[in-house]
Amino acid sequence: MRQWLRRLTRRNEPYIFLVLLALCLLIEVRSGQFFTANNLVDIASAMVVPGLFALGIYMVIVSGGIDVSFPALASLTSYATTKYLLDAGYTGGIWLPMAMSLVMGAALGAVNGVFIGFFGLPAMIVTLGTSSVFKGLMQGALNSVQLAVIPEGMRQFGTDALFVATNPVSGLSSRMPVSFLIFAAVVLLVFFLMRYTYFGRGIYAMGGNEVSAHRAGFHTRRTKFFLYVIVGMIASAAGLIRTCMMQQNHPTNMLGMEMNIIAGVVLGGTAITGGAGSVTGCMLGTLLIVIVENSMILIGIPTVWKSVFVGALIVIGTGVSAMQVVRANRLAANRNLTQEAAKA
Amino acid sequence: MRKLLALLLAAALTLSLGAALAQENWEIVVVPKDASNPWFVRMKVGVDEYAKETGLNLYQKGTPEIDATLQAQLVQDLIAQGVDAICVVPVNPESLEPVLKQAMDAGIVVIAHEGASLTNVNYDIEAFSNSGYGAFIMDNLAEAMGGEGLYTTMVAHVTNASHNEWADGGVARQKEAYPNMTLLEAEPRVESEDNGDVAYNKAKELFKKYPDLKGIMGTSSYDAPGIARAIEELGLQGKVFTSGTGMPAANKAILDSGIVKSLTLWDPALAGKAMAALAVKVLKGEEITAPVDLGVEGYTALTFKAGSDKVLEGQGWVVITKDNVDSFGF
Repeated sequence: MRQWLRRLTRRNEPYIFLVLLALCLLIEVRSGQFFTANNLVDIASAMVVPGLFALGIYMVIVSGGIDVSFPALASLTSYATTKYLLDAGYTGGIWLPMAMSLVMGAALGAVNGVFIGFFGLPAMIVTLGTSSVFKGLMQGALNSVQLAVIPEGMRQFGTDALFVATNPVSGLSSRMPVSFLIFAAVVLLVFFLMRYTYFGRGIYAMGGNEVSAHRAGFHTRRTKFFLYVIVGMIASAAGLIRTCMMQQNHPTNMLGMEMNIIAGVVLGGTAITGGAGSVTGCMLGTLLIVIVENSMILIGIPTVWKSVFVGALIVIGTGVSAMQVVRANRLAANRNLTQEAAKA
Repeated sequence: MRKLLALLLAAALTLSLGAALAQENWEIVVVPKDASNPWFVRMKVGVDEYAKETGLNLYQKGTPEIDATLQAQLVQDLIAQGVDAICVVPVNPESLEPVLKQAMDAGIVVIAHEGASLTNVNYDIEAFSNSGYGAFIMDNLAEAMGGEGLYTTMVAHVTNASHNEWADGGVARQKEAYPNMTLLEAEPRVESEDNGDVAYNKAKELFKKYPDLKGIMGTSSYDAPGIARAIEELGLQGKVFTSGTGMPAANKAILDSGIVKSLTLWDPALAGKAMAALAVKVLKGEEITAPVDLGVEGYTALTFKAGSDKVLEGQGWVVITKDNVDSFGF
C-alpha cells in the first residue's frame, strides 16, 4: 500500500487530478451549477472534439515529434466532405461521410508522414508547412465559404442524443451527443495501441531516443509514417464530428485550436521532449482546459481577464508537470549513483 | 519622339471621347470587392435595377476573386477608359488610395462604400452609424422580449471597435426607450471570438449561471446563430430571445423554426443604388449638404459622420424575418 502510494505521488496524474478537483469545487462554490446533470453533460459534449485532437497530438508528442497541422487538416477534410456530399445531394447516414473523411485524413496524414518519417525532416517545420498548404487548398482550390446547411444524415448524427440530462431546478436540458461514443472508443483504442502493441512501444522508445530505438530493432521510419497517418485520421474524424455537432461548416473556425490542445496535453504530463506520457494524463489535462474555457462565466471571471486566467493556469499546470519530470530524473540519477556506489 | 506623340494623341482622343460622352449619359461603374461573393451578387441586383429605372449608363464590374491588386488594376483600367464616376467597395482601403488619387486627378467622381478611412474620394457612404445600428438591434431584441427582462450583450472581441460601438448603442437605446429592461451588470459583455461554437457554449453558461436572463444581443454574424443553438438545446425556446446581425440564407432554419424572431443586416443592393445616386448628384454639380436624400430606402436622410466632410451615414439597416428571408438571394 505504501509503495503504491509512493509510486502514485511520483506520477503526474494525481496532481492534475487534484488541480481539476479544486477547479470544479471553485466553480461549484461560485455558481452552484457545476455538479448538475446538465452541466456535466455540457462538459462531456464540449470535450469530444478537443479530446480527439488531444489523443492524436499526445501520440505525436510521445514520439518526440509535434504536429501543428491537425486543425487545418480537420478543416480541409470536413469541408471537402460536406461540400462534396451537399453538391451530390447525399441523403444517407453518417457512414459515408465518416469513411470519406477518414480516407482523406489518412492521405493528408501520410503527406506529413512521408516528410517526417522517410525524409527525416523536422516535424515542426513540416507541419507548419502542410498546415499552410491545407488551408490554402481549402481556400483556393475549394473556394471555401461558410456552409449553412449540411447533409441531413450528418445533421441527424450531430443532434442525436444518447440521453438528455435535465436539471430539475432550472429546467435546462442538455444532450449527450452520440459522437461521445466515438470519442470513448478512440480513447480505448489509443490506450491499447500505446500500451500493448509493438507499434505503441516503438513510439515511446523513439521519443526516448530515436537512435537507440532503431538499434533496438524498431522500424522507426515506418512507425513514424503510420503514426502521422493515424493522427490524420483521428483529426479528420474530429473535424467531421465538429461539423455535425454545429450543424454548419465554418471552414476557418477550428484554426488556432492547436495551441490550447497542445497545452492541455503537456499539462497532463506528456513530456514535450518525447518518450513519456499517458492517455489518462492527456485526458485529464485536456479536460482541465475544456472546463476552464467553458466555465469562465460560471466562475465569474470578467471577460477581459479571461485570457490571463487561462494563461496562468497553463503556466502553473505545466510548471507542476515539469517539476515532476525534474524530480523523477533526479530520483533516477540518485538511484543510479547509489547502484554505482554499491557496485564499487 | 514618335512614341510620345502617339501617346499624346491617344490621350487626347480618349479625353475628347470622354468629354463628348460626358454630357447627360454619364458612365458610372460600381466596383465591388469581387464578382462571385453572394453579397456583391446581391449588390449587382440593386445596381442593375437602378440602371433600368433611371436609364443611366450604370453597371457593376468586379474581379473574379477578392484581391486588392486585381481591384487596383481594374480601377486603373476604368480610369484609362475615361468613365465618369467610379463607385468602389475597397478590398484594402490603404492600397487603393494612390489609384483613387489618379482617378480624382483625372476628374473622375469617386464614391466609396465601407471605406470610411479613404481620403481620395468625393464621398464615402456608410449604411449606418454604429450607434444607430446598435439601437436598431436593440429594438428587435426588445420586441422579441416584450420590452422587459434581463439582457446582456455579446461581441466578437472586447477589442473589436465596431461591435462594441454597436453594443454601446444598443445599451444606450435600452436605457432611453425600454425602462423595464435591465442590463446584466455582472456580465455586461461576453466574447464569442467570431466563432459559432464559442457563442453557443458562452450562451449555455450564461443561461446556467443567470436563470433570469431573458435576452442576448448579438453583434457578430456568428453570435445570434450560436445563441439560437443553445436556446434550442436547453429547451428555452419562447422563454429567452436573441437578435443580432445574420445572413439570411445561413439562418433560414432558425428563423423558420421561430427560435429567432428577427435578425438585422444591411442590404448591399440598396447600398449599390445609393452609391450610384450620390455619384449622379455629384456629377450634376449639386451641393451635398446634410441631410442628403438619395431617394433610396434607408438612404433618404444621410448625415455626415461627426468630424468628417466625406463620410455619409444612412439608416440602411433591414430586418430579416421568416417572411422575407428568401427574398435576398444570399
